Amino acid sequence: MTSSDALSRRAFLQRGAAISLAGAAAPFALNLATMAEAAAQSSGSTDYKALVCVFLQGGNDHGNTLIPYDDGSHAAYAAARGGIALGRESLAATALSNNLGGRQLAMAPGLAPLKPLYDAGRLAWLLNIGPLVQPTTLAQYQARSVPLPAKLFSHNDQQSAWQSYGPEGSLAGWGGRSADAVLSSNGRASLTCINTSGNAVYLSGRTAVPYMVNPSGVPSLYALNGGLFGSATCEAAFRQLVTQTSQAHVLASEHARVMARAIDVNAQLQTAMGATPALATAFDGANPLANQLRMVAQLIAARDRLGMRRQVFFVSLPGFDLHDNLLSRHAVLLGQLASGLVSFQAALDELNVARNVTTFTASDFGRTLSSNGDGSDHGWGGHHLVMGGAVRGANLYGQLPNAGLGGESDTGQGRLLPTMGVQQLAGALGRWMGVSPTDLNAINPGLASFNAGTLSSLLTA
Amino acid sequence: MADSEQDVAGEATAQTEADLSSSLHRQHSVLGGVALSTLSACGGGGNDEKPTLRDPSALPTACLSAGVAVALAACGGGTQPFEPMTEARAARLLNQGGLGSTPGQVTALVRDGGDAWFNAQLAMPLSPSVWDWARAQGYDNRLYARGDYGLDQALWWRLCTAQDVLRQRVVLALSELFVVSPLNMVAYWKQFACLAWWELLEQHCFGNFRDLLTHITLSPAMGVYLSMRGSSKADSSGRQPDENYARELLQLFTIGLTTLQPDGSPTSPPVDTYDGRAVSQLAKVFTGWDVDGFNPFDPEGPFDYLRVPMGFHADRHADTDKSVLGVNIPGQTPGPESMRLALDAVFNHPNVGFFIARQLIQRLVTSNPSKDYVWRVAMAFNSNGAPVPVRGDMAAVVRAVLADPEARPEITLPPASQPAPAQPTLSDGKLREPVLRLLQWLRLVNVSSTDGQWRFPDLSGSDQLGQAPLRSPSVFNFFRPGYVPPNTVIATKGLVAPEFQITNESSVMGYANFLLRIMPFGGNGILPNYDTWLAMADQPARLVDQLNLHLTGRVLSPITVDTVVVGVNSILGTSANERRNRVVAAFFLIMCCPEYLVQR
Repeated sequence: MTSSDALSRRAFLQRGAAISLAGAAAPFALNLATMAEAAAQSSGSTDYKALVCVFLQGGNDHGNTLIPYDDGSHAAYAAARGGIALGRESLAATALSNNLGGRQLAMAPGLAPLKPLYDAGRLAWLLNIGPLVQPTTLAQYQARSVPLPAKLFSHNDQQSAWQSYGPEGSLAGWGGRSADAVLSSNGRASLTCINTSGNAVYLSGRTAVPYMVNPSGVPSLYALNGGLFGSATCEAAFRQLVTQTSQAHVLASEHARVMARAIDVNAQLQTAMGATPALATAFDGANPLANQLRMVAQLIAARDRLGMRRQVFFVSLPGFDLHDNLLSRHAVLLGQLASGLVSFQAALDELNVARNVTTFTASDFGRTLSSNGDGSDHGWGGHHLVMGGAVRGANLYGQLPNAGLGGESDTGQGRLLPTMGVQQLAGALGRWMGVSPTDLNAINPGLASFNAGTLSSLLTA
Repeated sequence: MADSEQDVAGEATAQTEADLSSSLHRQHSVLGGVALSTLSACGGGGNDEKPTLRDPSALPTACLSAGVAVALAACGGGTQPFEPMTEARAARLLNQGGLGSTPGQVTALVRDGGDAWFNAQLAMPLSPSVWDWARAQGYDNRLYARGDYGLDQALWWRLCTAQDVLRQRVVLALSELFVVSPLNMVAYWKQFACLAWWELLEQHCFGNFRDLLTHITLSPAMGVYLSMRGSSKADSSGRQPDENYARELLQLFTIGLTTLQPDGSPTSPPVDTYDGRAVSQLAKVFTGWDVDGFNPFDPEGPFDYLRVPMGFHADRHADTDKSVLGVNIPGQTPGPESMRLALDAVFNHPNVGFFIARQLIQRLVTSNPSKDYVWRVAMAFNSNGAPVPVRGDMAAVVRAVLADPEARPEITLPPASQPAPAQPTLSDGKLREPVLRLLQWLRLVNVSSTDGQWRFPDLSGSDQLGQAPLRSPSVFNFFRPGYVPPNTVIATKGLVAPEFQITNESSVMGYANFLLRIMPFGGNGILPNYDTWLAMADQPARLVDQLNLHLTGRVLSPITVDTVVVGVNSILGTSANERRNRVVAAFFLIMCCPEYLVQR
């Protein structure tokens, strides 16, 4: 960072602080003015980095995502899973060549389209990662002798824990807070954090406010298309009413702020995206995740026109809470995940930004290894993937848990005590985005207590 | 296990029915500790068989801290009278406890009073069956066996035409607390599973909560949605009981995650109400139940099994000892009896009253009720105030929510000359749910379906209404009761705003565009009738005032009213089409403005 950059960043932050002091009622125009100023500072650069969080809503069954493959391990896995085990013969095409102390893993058959990306070194697996306050042994967990994440095994709370280190009700996530630290380089701070599937705490920072973009397109208001019911006066009345942020009531004021932001920013988005060539890469239109990822790719394609240099995206795929019908439904969901990711990475190649975008999965929790007959129940740690041109892939990071029940990570029925904290992933991604070590420690509580070496080589600059 | 499975199941089903019918008769003996304490605070009301009722040491600290006056008010439990009704108050009550205010309802409510209205609504017979309606429309065609076609049509038909508006409003609220949805439900005939669920809530929403718990637990829709259906005891293959329903019953339906004090506030530091072991124990209780009559060889065939409580299969029930919230259930206890004991234990947990009270208040009245308001409603849950007090009387709970002095606080409007404040200070009420907004319009325009099919599509997309009845994306509803929109004054003030979880840049535009698409002429044969309002098209001020009354209870500020009138007035009112545009514009401008979107 040059000294003039540092100055402008400091100035921006001061202004940002002034805005927050003025409170949420500060006119939106002020934010825009500040952003435009920041845009001028950043113009002319091709520097760009983005994170894409793919959230698997409901708790992904990690046991059938990355499967023990060597004979001995698969036998232990099959014994533990019973009727929901995947047969070893179905895994031959997706077996990974890595030798993990004599053990071998295979990706789920539904993830087969991702195997070439893995083999090409653009996709890596993180083993047994999940929310932790600090590194924790099984004995410590059983004795409750160290702090543990609140409200384990609860969907909404563990979604929040993955995204923000706290249970439901947390107000800022590590995606948003990482964005806080880098958004000063952006032309439009309001587009730093974008979600395509509804509000998620992951993207909320202290300054950063998530912006929702509908994957089906960026709408404008019919009512503002030139003369509401043939009357310019009526249209003006509408605009005045819906964007009136000076209100006596907090809820009314906030609604008006959302509408004002939507009107201003959607117009900018439409202009920028309208001037951006369409993607040639095909996405499966029947796949809800692929639709979101296509919109993210289109937004990335428009990054220079929007003056964006650092962005964080949040997309999600629901349906992973498979207490029932695990074998049939999980295969479909993983197929959608794979198809969406393959298209997305191809689109990034098309845009020549493969090294500038890092995509990773997250989920409420992993699940039990034990079967409940037709599915699995809520767990804790699980396996997740990281994908992109900056990823040192064809690798598995972290500690491989037992293939069957028992061992140093099994809290019961194969619910995994994580051996890698979410902080470690957040730290590696934040560092790659350019977040300073000081900010990283502030954003990710407990980060310093984890082994810094585990993911230090996950990403290249 | 000498008997055939069928015999065992038959016998067990008989036990289940006995269990269902007995639960109401057991109310007196299942009064929980908090309820007993409340009675003592009320100075009696129970009978003399239980001397502990009058033990002053049982007086909860909350009564003392909340003040004697409040404690006495709570004795009335479900008997709090409504305040005298003005037009505006009547409209507000109808928007809180009904499906929207209309001229006829307001007139009757002002004339008869809130108590008469409430009692008449409680006494209304059930509306005609939505299940039967959907079959009559042909949605039971095998073509639709694998989807949910017909669900939206049947529910919007119900919500547009039902006269038992209080019941429907409460069902809508309960459907967001006890969530069942065709999304991520793996079943045949999802639309009928969901319609049976709606009818179940209709039948039991004014009954006893304990009874409701039994019916919810044995509902095929819930059984499929939260996978209790088919859950079996542990076996040598490593199979374990399914924990899904057990966990969500506790977390989402009854007691929540955090132990509450007698005044309804969490302990400090927070104490979990249960741990993972408790969930495993309760999961064992819920083993052995399955839908009766599903034919796997003809899954698209008859589906009446979706309408009857699940049946018990003793051979699949875990026969080891269980412990549920401190109640020990010996392993040899028959499954239906184990379930009864477990649900009793859940029902009697002191959190339940507060848990249900807060959420019902949030759905019907306000996102941020005072601690005392929640406490008063919880006390009505704990005891309905009847001569022989009953715990869990939902009619009393609903009355306590709607008749509470805090339900419709006096609203002082700023003079037109006063500029809007730089900082918002008011926080009463709640953001109006999209479904409720649409219902207001549908009922004010006497909506009809020209072909009788009520061809509403799924409106839950954010480029549409952004919400639809029974179409929650997950068991966590469209929004969570504790949702706080980050980086807002709402958060700074420490408030929650559940409905803001589905409010974002995409949804606010989607909603306004949706209104503008449907308001002029409806669609799909669904037809608005603007006659009442066209009569006022030449008097924009009167038109806007009347819509302001019904849509908001006249809470729009004078400056907002003026802006709407100016907008409406600017449309020429000569031709029939222009006059119609004036009326549509009045609806549209009000229903998009932030002051309307906050229901107060």
